[in-house]
Amino acid sequence: MSRAALFALLVCLGAAAGDRAQAAPTERPAGDDGQWTMPAKDYAATRYSGLADITRQNARSLHPVWTFSTGVLGGHEGQPLVVGDTMYVVTPWPNVLYAFDLTREGYPLRWKYRPEVSANAIGVSCCDIVNRGPFYADGKIVYNLLDGHTVAVDAHSGRELWKTQIADMGEGETVTMAPLVVKDRVIVGASGGEFGIYGWIKGLDLATGQTVWTARNLGPDSDMRARTDTFKPPYDHGADLGASSWANDSWRTGGAPVWGFISYDPELDLFYYGTGNASPYNPEQRLGDNKWSASVLARHPADGALVWAYQFTPHDNWDYDATGTMILADLTIGGQPVKALVHFDKNGFAYTLDRASGRVLLARAFAPVNWARAVDLNTGRPQLEPSKQTGVSRGNVKGICPSLEGGVSPSSPAAYSPRTHLFYTSTNNLCMDYAASHATRLKGTPYVGVTSPYIPGPGGYLGTFMAWDAASGRKVWENREPFPTWSGALVTAGDVAFYGTLDGWFKSVDARTGEVLSKFKVGSGVVGNPITYRAPDGRQYVAVYAGLGGDWALLSGDTRSDDPTDVRAPADFLPDIARHTSQGGIIWIFSL
Amino acid sequence: MSPSRTRRRATLLWALVSSAALASCARQAPPPATPPATTTLPAVRYEAHLAAGGIPPEGAMLHNPHQGDAAVAKSGALLFTAMNCDGCHGGGGSGWVGPDLAAGRWRYGGADAEVFYSIYYGRPKGMPAFGGTLGVEGVWTLVTYLRSLPRPADLPTESWGSK
Repeated sequence: MSRAALFALLVCLGAAAGDRAQAAPTERPAGDDGQWTMPAKDYAATRYSGLADITRQNARSLHPVWTFSTGVLGGHEGQPLVVGDTMYVVTPWPNVLYAFDLTREGYPLRWKYRPEVSANAIGVSCCDIVNRGPFYADGKIVYNLLDGHTVAVDAHSGRELWKTQIADMGEGETVTMAPLVVKDRVIVGASGGEFGIYGWIKGLDLATGQTVWTARNLGPDSDMRARTDTFKPPYDHGADLGASSWANDSWRTGGAPVWGFISYDPELDLFYYGTGNASPYNPEQRLGDNKWSASVLARHPADGALVWAYQFTPHDNWDYDATGTMILADLTIGGQPVKALVHFDKNGFAYTLDRASGRVLLARAFAPVNWARAVDLNTGRPQLEPSKQTGVSRGNVKGICPSLEGGVSPSSPAAYSPRTHLFYTSTNNLCMDYAASHATRLKGTPYVGVTSPYIPGPGGYLGTFMAWDAASGRKVWENREPFPTWSGALVTAGDVAFYGTLDGWFKSVDARTGEVLSKFKVGSGVVGNPITYRAPDGRQYVAVYAGLGGDWALLSGDTRSDDPTDVRAPADFLPDIARHTSQGGIIWIFSL
Repeated sequence: MSPSRTRRRATLLWALVSSAALASCARQAPPPATPPATTTLPAVRYEAHLAAGGIPPEGAMLHNPHQGDAAVAKSGALLFTAMNCDGCHGGGGSGWVGPDLAAGRWRYGGADAEVFYSIYYGRPKGMPAFGGTLGVEGVWTLVTYLRSLPRPADLPTESWGSK
């Protein structure tokens, strides 16, 4: 396929800024207490704050007012919490928890908690030693340790209340995800899609940490907590789909990890989470749809009962994890009110689903896509492009878009503003070659089977930050960036959106047009997620981590400086990232 | 799965991927002068370590029976992929979540015996111990491969000029 034909399939670029006349201001959600108590701000995972002291008129005067070195070099994904007059920060491994006193000048620590965490976890993590943040509930800070534990720490004293082993590093499981707490249940899952795990999600008791239920994300119905009378997937019928869709019992090592963010709808009493890639990356070792890898699952928190599931990428050929955030928003589509779930997938499509049933209402490419032409709304299945399917027998398949970093990384959660009705997300503009090879399952070692060098996507840029209308499936504006964009998004009632870049700029932009209002070089690349809060002094602040990491620290081996025995050549597709940044964890706070 | 079953499976795997290495061993007249996997290996002495008082501790320098054997190195390349070493250390040992093994700089020493110990017993920060799965012969095969990798010129300076 010629390069021109290749990119004829690509999504068209966004319309010019400011063309969205219908985006009139609407009602503000009733009140915002100025705290940020859960990873994605609210159960709907909107990352939207009702605070409006910082506006698109005055954001140009944003400037840093405080910084703190975390003393840790790994990728600083995730985000702080602000509860009352305290800010809580969890670092990458070794997963230190800091509690800052926001009432005193210089924000001194009230305490710090240093759990004992096995160093073996470093080698069992596929993609850097990250942590996606804590959750506050019932006076406790709850978060996961990389070596497979969940801890609850007294938010006031810093004392450890309980510590539960949830994952087994010997099986290739580590834990990087942000937990979700609903009532008395702590929902947690494990990474390990590159180690052939048998993926799962668990519900722990908030008071004691004891495991109440465990549900597999694949395998027989009995393991998945799927009962035929209550499990109603919108497009599939039959029992044990999580086992019958894997040839030769390959579900036993089929991956489907949980490493992103979870959302929850109190009315439906359902929580929503995405599962990661099918293992191994060579798809010919696991023929079939491989349900429910690369899927979204809806369960009841009390007992983990599975209610529906939808697979974004059947028989994943490309490492297209679906662990990205599931944002719950009430939209108007074709004049009809819809309780929607909106998801930007690694596979390059943005999906708008009915969150009660799991049916797809809309699926449009938001980044260059050529592995599929479209998503069939009658079947929910992608219409595949035959020349972009992979496997050992197909040799080196060239020029697949997106790359396995995704049209967006699941590490980079989007935001939704009920004022603009727009979704805001980082994206990557990368494609890849994909040469699959036979993978050997050897417990506790990687189970991958691919060589997949990346290629810059079309257009001369590697990432964007963009605004998306999920009711129409349309890009409204985008800011192009010279490097893949890997931070989460934040949007506020001041109609200001925030994001950071891999080369270390933290930016505020007009949420309606994308116009950059302020930018500041924060010392290291941003792969974390900005938050905003009202401090005890009554003022609005914005906080974000700097700290290059995740896949980028691994790919661009010349961005580290701490190990004189580990000196690597730069990655050929982003040759000068180390000119602009190196690793290092810093917490930044900005205000007017 | 019981440990013994795991071991049998891995041993079978190793036998499959190392047939070329074994053929190469057969060509060499003297058998490897290394102890079988079941005996205790002698303590290795790290030449790169500082010794208190300038007096290094007692210790052996293990001898690689395949040093410089290109056929064994070739088998080691297959083994490097088959045992998933590339999953952490990158294709050709170019580095990923685990360190670069091709650059000629070594966290735990680059002498054959030191590399042997790193693979056989594992290292902190998650390098698994492969000695149980591969045995002495398998580990030496990997060492021979790693030592055969072409060493790029060590260029400590990365320069972007004044562009």
